[in-house]
Amino acid sequence: MRRIERLINLIAALLETLRPMTAEEIRERIGGYDQPNHEAFRRAFERDKEALRSMGIPLEVVPTDPYADQADGYIITKARYYLPQLDLEPDELTALRLASDALLGSGEDAGSGLLKLSIDAPIGPLSGPRFTWGADLAAEEPVLGPLYSALVDRRGVQFSYESGGGQKTFRRVEPFGIVHRRGRWYLVGRDVDRESIRSFRLSRIAGDLETVNVTYEIPEGFDAAEHVSAALEIQTEASTTAVVRFDARMRWWPEQNMASNPSTEAPGGALDVEMIVGNVEALVSWVLGFGEGLQIVSPPEARTALVEHLRPLVQSR
Amino acid sequence: MSETAQGRLGTRLRRILLLLPYAIKNPGVTIDELSDRFGVKKKDLIGDLNLVFVCGLPGYGPGDLIDVSIENDQVFVQMADYFSSPLRITPAEALSLYVGGAAVIALPEMDEADALRRALEKLGHAIGIEQMGTGTGGIAVRWEPGPANHLRLARQALQEQRRMRLEYFSANRGELSTRTMDPWGLVAALGHWYLIGFDRLRNDERMFRVDRIKEAEVLDEPADIPDDFDPSRYRGAFVPRDEQDIVSFEISPAAARWFADYYPLRSSRELDDGWRAVELTSGGTRWAATLVLRLGDQVRAVKPEPVLTEARTLASVLTDAHS
Repeated sequence: MRRIERLINLIAALLETLRPMTAEEIRERIGGYDQPNHEAFRRAFERDKEALRSMGIPLEVVPTDPYADQADGYIITKARYYLPQLDLEPDELTALRLASDALLGSGEDAGSGLLKLSIDAPIGPLSGPRFTWGADLAAEEPVLGPLYSALVDRRGVQFSYESGGGQKTFRRVEPFGIVHRRGRWYLVGRDVDRESIRSFRLSRIAGDLETVNVTYEIPEGFDAAEHVSAALEIQTEASTTAVVRFDARMRWWPEQNMASNPSTEAPGGALDVEMIVGNVEALVSWVLGFGEGLQIVSPPEARTALVEHLRPLVQSR
Repeated sequence: MSETAQGRLGTRLRRILLLLPYAIKNPGVTIDELSDRFGVKKKDLIGDLNLVFVCGLPGYGPGDLIDVSIENDQVFVQMADYFSSPLRITPAEALSLYVGGAAVIALPEMDEADALRRALEKLGHAIGIEQMGTGTGGIAVRWEPGPANHLRLARQALQEQRRMRLEYFSANRGELSTRTMDPWGLVAALGHWYLIGFDRLRNDERMFRVDRIKEAEVLDEPADIPDDFDPSRYRGAFVPRDEQDIVSFEISPAAARWFADYYPLRSSRELDDGWRAVELTSGGTRWAATLVLRLGDQVRAVKPEPVLTEARTLASVLTDAHS
C-alpha cells in the first residue's frame, strides 16, 4: 500500500473513532501499517504524524487511561478538523477572491484557502470593471506559515538567526506578532535568553524553525507594528527632529507625500520640512537617494555624517 | 523521503481532502467541473479518485471502503461522510488571504474593501484570532499608502484603458519630465506602489513609482495593453529585460549582508579579503551613481567609469552644500 493511501486511512480512522486509538491499535487495525517490526512501524508512524501536523490536521494526543503510565491515544476531533461555518456572503467571497488574485507569486495557500471557503458557492467569473494589479508581499517566506501557526497556538519558537553583523546565534523567542513592512516580514517577540522584546527579520532566519511547548502571555495592548517601526527607525535613546531642505525643483515631493509634516518657507523658493529621525545613518542614506536637491539643515551631526560618508568619493578625485 | 517528494505528497493529499467534500456534497458532478474548479488535469483527477477507492475505515471490507463511481463522466462518492467537510483553513492559508486582503484595502476607494473587512473578521474568528489586523498577537501589514489621487487616476485609466500623461521625477535623470504612457497595471512591492506601462517618450516598458509622479492626467486616447500582461513579472519592483547596462563594483562584508535583499544581482563572488564583487543590471548612470553614493565607504572598484564620475560629481556638490 502506498503511503498516501495509508495517510488517508489514518485520517479517516482517527476522525471516525469514538475513543482515542493507541499506537498499538493503529498498527493492528489501520490499513497500511504492516511494517515487519515495531521499530519500522514506529518510524513510519512518526513520519505520518509529522505529515499530518505539517498539513494543519489537528492530531490530538491524549492519555487513554489516566492510571496507565504509557499508551497515549490519538484522535482527530471532528469539531477541530472540519471547517467551521463562516457564513460568508457572496460579496465577501468575491472580495477574498480579489485578495487571493492580488498576491504576486505564493498564491497557492491563498488559492486553497479560498477553495475551502467557497465549498458551497459557485465560482464564476468576477463581474464589474477589472484592472490588472498585484501586490508582492513576499508571502512565500518559508518560515512565515510555521511561525504564524506557532503564534496562533501560542507556542515558543527557536531558530538560528543571522544578525546584521553576519554571525549566527541561536534564539528562543515567544512570538508576540508578525509584521509586514516595506516588503519585509518581521517577527516581534520576547527573546527568552536576552530577556527583552526584539524584532527579527524573517529572511535572516537560517534553516528551519522549531516550535516548543511553553506558556506565555502577550502583554496587554502590545502593538507589534509599533515595535517594528521603533526598532527600525530609532537607535538612539531619544529621537530628534531633523530639518531637510527641498529646493524649488523638489519641494513638490514633500508637499505631495509628507503633507502632514510641519514645514517652513526657505530662501530661493525652497521648503524646509521637519521629520522625526533617530538613526542618522538612515537619514543620510535617504537624503542621498534623491541625488541632488535635498540638504540636511539640522541636526549638525547629520550634516557631518553625510560629509564623512561621502569623503572616500570626494578624496579620490 | 526527499523534501520535494514530501512536498508532492502533501500537495496531493491536500487536494484530495478538498476534492472529496465537494464531490460528496455535489453527487454527479462532472470530471470537467472538478478539473476546472480545483485546477487539476483530468488524468490526475481520475488518479486521485482511483486511489481513494481503496481507502476507508478499519475492517476494509466492502462496507468500510470509500465508494467511488464514475458514470458517463459523472462522479459519485459515498460511504465517506467523515470527509464531507473540508479541513479547517490552515493558518498559512488564512495568512495568505489576509495579506492579499490588506493590499486590496490599501488601494483607495476599492468597492470591495468593506466586504473584505467583514470577510477577514469572520476568517479571524474561525482560526481563533479576534483581531487579525492588529499588531496584538496577530499579523500587521503596514502599507505605505502612496498619493491617493494618483492611484485613483491610475485605476481609472486602467479600467477605461486610456492613455495617461505623467509629470514624473526620474531617479535616473534626477529631474522632472512629462511623458505619455499606456498603463498596463499597478504593482505594490517593497512598500511602494508602481505604475507599469509603456513609456511613449522613451519608447520602452517602464515602472513609475507612484510617489514620484508629480502630476497625473487621464487622456481621451485609448491605450494599447498587451493581452498577456503579467504583473508577477515585476516582483521585487524590477523591470525584467534581456539587454541592459551593467554596473559592477565591490562591496564591503557589512554591505554584502543586506545588499542582495534589495538589488537583483547578476553575479556575486566573494573576494579574498571578504569583500564581494557584484554585477547588477543598471537603471542608468545616474541611478547607479546614487547607489554608489548611498554605499559611501562600503563600495570600491566601481565600473563603468561614467558611473564613478557621476558619483564623484554628486558627492562634491553634496559635500559643498553640507560643509
